Amino acid sequence: MVIRSSQTGSLKNSLQLARRLTLAASIVTLLSGCATTELAGNNNAANPDDPYEGFNRTMFGFNNSVDSYVAKPISDAYRWITPDFMQTGVYNFFNNLKNVNVVLNDVLQAKFEQGAQDTGRLALNTTLGLGGLFDVAKNVGWHQNDEDFEQTLAVWGVPQGSYLVLPLLGPSTARGIPGSVFDTAANPATYIGMPVQLLSLLNSRANAEGALKFIDEAALDPYVFTRESFLQWRNNLATDGRMDSSANLLDLDDELETSTKPTKE
Amino acid sequence: MLMNIKLIVILVSYLLTASAFAQTESSASAKQIVEKFQSDLIAVMKEGKQLGYAGRYEKLKEAVINSHDLSKIARIVVGKEGEKLSEEQQQKLDEVFSKLSIASYAHNFKDYSGESFVFDSEEQTTRGGVVIHSHLVIPDDKPVKFDYMLKEKGNSWRIINIIANGVSDLALKRSEYTTILQREGFDALIAKINEKIDTYSKQ
Repeated sequence: MVIRSSQTGSLKNSLQLARRLTLAASIVTLLSGCATTELAGNNNAANPDDPYEGFNRTMFGFNNSVDSYVAKPISDAYRWITPDFMQTGVYNFFNNLKNVNVVLNDVLQAKFEQGAQDTGRLALNTTLGLGGLFDVAKNVGWHQNDEDFEQTLAVWGVPQGSYLVLPLLGPSTARGIPGSVFDTAANPATYIGMPVQLLSLLNSRANAEGALKFIDEAALDPYVFTRESFLQWRNNLATDGRMDSSANLLDLDDELETSTKPTKE
Repeated sequence: MLMNIKLIVILVSYLLTASAFAQTESSASAKQIVEKFQSDLIAVMKEGKQLGYAGRYEKLKEAVINSHDLSKIARIVVGKEGEKLSEEQQQKLDEVFSKLSIASYAHNFKDYSGESFVFDSEEQTTRGGVVIHSHLVIPDDKPVKFDYMLKEKGNSWRIINIIANGVSDLALKRSEYTTILQREGFDALIAKINEKIDTYSKQ
């Protein structure tokens, strides 16, 4: 059960890892600075959202190396020594704190009804759920909603901007960078202190294991696979799934037209 | 992503088992095609262990071929790059792509643990396609949306895309395949596909 649910949630977790890792806003600002100056197009960009593919691929490779030599070994050890219920508890704890952000962003996006439910979720899990260690609200049927500042910016009409792979922080977009800065600032976990933060990172990485293994197995080009699934997933969250099928399908129909014609026998 | 797809497919097939029996008319509707595929998949999952990889591959081969338009999918995923391929290359691609599709189902759908598929609605697209909207109910987790896009082929319907929680399998594959063709060429693409098939068969 735990494994199954962590698989479905694991892609999210791996991506949230990026956000949670945003310990130093200053680093991010610095990086986005060089991202815009230094990288200008050495690529015949296959995806218009990814004009800095050359730089991004380098960073992707760098992040993968760091992951294989540092993050994965530590995470494997953590997964090996800690029982499942503890990993779930740690996940629930940090997830509960994150609901402060969720509620904030519900309000900023004028989703007041959902905001009320998420507030109830936060209150219930913080009290009956013993400080968030247990996800009691789930049993009441209040599912975890996924809102953050990047989605709020999207709702406000800020364009997504270019796809960027940040050193250590992973996939993001021009809109995602300020989003992460705000998210980090608003999340109580940021102010808890170092050992707890490390645990949070460790737990995020451990939860991402299933997704990362899946990408490794399924992707012919892991860089492109990660980019496409990240961008589509973020877009789907920002639009609350409303635009997904129509946008995708129109796209697809056009593609069908162009790709079937030349090969008709 | 693929895991979601797997789960969805499993659930769908489970729910649809009953209706699949009703499928007696000669030309199956889009919904029936999806349901039949899902029920086949569920059946394989339930005896996944006994069958082993090779057994699952054999059983799923027919199920996938009868529900997906694999050659059309193979053409879409190479996009404009496809125009540069010779006849033999296109055929080679068709062949390994079909193998990979079946292999990934056989690899990913090896067990079953209580998920269920719920049909939501059916929608006509502007260009004569049909979308089957459904979602997968996962015990103890948020449901996952699954949208199947089908196109008419002959007098039946075939799946050409699966969109899981807004992530389109076809769009994902198209980006990968066109990128590899541009950067590394046709032979590298075939080699990578064969490598995946090989990995899948060993686990």
